[in-house]
Amino acid sequence: MYYPYFIAYMLSGFVISLIVLFWALRHGQFRDQKRLRFLPLADEPDPGSATRVTRMNRWEGFVLLGLACAGLATTAAVLFFTLYRW
Amino acid sequence: MAATADTIFDQHLTARAFSLTSAFWFAFATSIGMVAAGYLIAPDFMANIPYLQFGRIRPIHVNLVLFGFVTPGLLAAAHYYVPRLLRTDLFSQKLGLMSVILWNVAVVSAVVSLSTGHSQGREYAELIWPVDMLVIVSFALVVLNLLMTVRRRKEPVLYVSIWYACAAVILTALTFSLGNVIWRPDTGALLGIPDAILLWFYGHNVFGLLLTPLTLGLAYYVIPIVTRNPLYSHTLSLIGFWSLLVVYTHIGTHHLLQVPVPTWLKVVATVDSVAMVIPVMVFLINIWYTAKGKLGEIHADIAGKFIFTGTIFYFFVSIQGSIMALPQVQRITHFNNWVIAHSHLGVLGFAGLSALGGLYYILPKITGKPLYSRFLADLQYWLVLIGIVGFTVVLTIAGLVQGNSWFAGETLYRTLPEIHSYYVVRLSIGLFIALAAYIGLYNVIRTIYFNPGEEA
Repeated sequence: MYYPYFIAYMLSGFVISLIVLFWALRHGQFRDQKRLRFLPLADEPDPGSATRVTRMNRWEGFVLLGLACAGLATTAAVLFFTLYRW
Repeated sequence: MAATADTIFDQHLTARAFSLTSAFWFAFATSIGMVAAGYLIAPDFMANIPYLQFGRIRPIHVNLVLFGFVTPGLLAAAHYYVPRLLRTDLFSQKLGLMSVILWNVAVVSAVVSLSTGHSQGREYAELIWPVDMLVIVSFALVVLNLLMTVRRRKEPVLYVSIWYACAAVILTALTFSLGNVIWRPDTGALLGIPDAILLWFYGHNVFGLLLTPLTLGLAYYVIPIVTRNPLYSHTLSLIGFWSLLVVYTHIGTHHLLQVPVPTWLKVVATVDSVAMVIPVMVFLINIWYTAKGKLGEIHADIAGKFIFTGTIFYFFVSIQGSIMALPQVQRITHFNNWVIAHSHLGVLGFAGLSALGGLYYILPKITGKPLYSRFLADLQYWLVLIGIVGFTVVLTIAGLVQGNSWFAGETLYRTLPEIHSYYVVRLSIGLFIALAAYIGLYNVIRTIYFNPGEEA
């Protein structure tokens, strides 16, 4: 057979995933979803100890957004360019 | 009784050891990367030193970044948040410490074996069999520790970060064993095309099923805490998790579209590469909605800042990945510096920044003291950010120059003078990243061992 290895590879991943999925279904892992949203917050310090937000922090956010927009524009331009060549 | 810094210090031995591992190898790996970048400008750079030949340096850089820096950084965070989310202690700190020691033995062995020319010559799977076995045993110890922690949990339902962390280590233990063909110790390879197919299943999955789930798990833990918002939707996060498992596991053949592998496999790989938009956007929508209106708070927290920026890079690297799998686009973008830009965007921009964020999140928690220097961490953030953006821009342009030249029928050697200047800029930008790595190492060591700060 020409490609038994990657079929074995894909099947092993698939079988493990199925076993875990059935375990999760049987053990109620898809219940209580609303409570789970709050789980990371459960043992954190009170909000009063939060780091103070400065004007600089807000500007950093805007700089990051600007970078993201520039990246998006560049990605679109490159996609157009490569397809246009074709 | 409130925990003192000393008791906290003892409780988090494994996370601390993985943190130091990550910080140290980040500095080492970027230094090696600088040497490799030097070769691209001057091919006879250090040519008389056989241990530092480009063919040896390059896999050392790649393996160190993967197994020395990013994975241990993400595992450090996982060894902190997994017990927290399960409301229990880590199964065994001694086992954890043993896994870190073995992990470092594996990484050192990788450096020594590759620099002395012992390589299996398969990209991302260069390590020889004994080193492969060390990596597998290290992973097995981590899997055992995390799964036993899950077994002893007091929280009955698993938060999505637990799913991601466990999937990452279990699937990678499997992926690594199969991808490195460990049942053939002499070559670590199959013959012909089946080997190429298997290699790229491994080559893609070692990133997609190790770094991606560990990073997403970390983001799902830290972003709600930093923003003090509950996760937007836990159900959505589970949909993202399961769709990632379904879609990601068989897209590796998009590296082989120019190779005579079966067409149906190329189609599966390409279609699922595009389908990756589903798990990616599910994650990003969930995290960005969680962070909605809290950009200021995120940037006020050093860990939040690193990890949130990582999510933005995840968006770009994933969009790129889906687009690059299209044969028409790949005609221009494959086999050139575009791919190097893409891999740096993913490993450093997405997973690396997030790993650093994870370290900065857990360091105050595992030492009981505040971070030694917020300023140095900020400086590191901006140096890495400038570095990765600069890297991406320069290498993308160089890649397009190369791709278009070859597409137009130009010979390879005639393109080299055209991209030389880009390589010079690349090395210069690399200095930012190397400097950032050493600053981070200093900050981590000072935070853990020589921290004058008040107990938190």
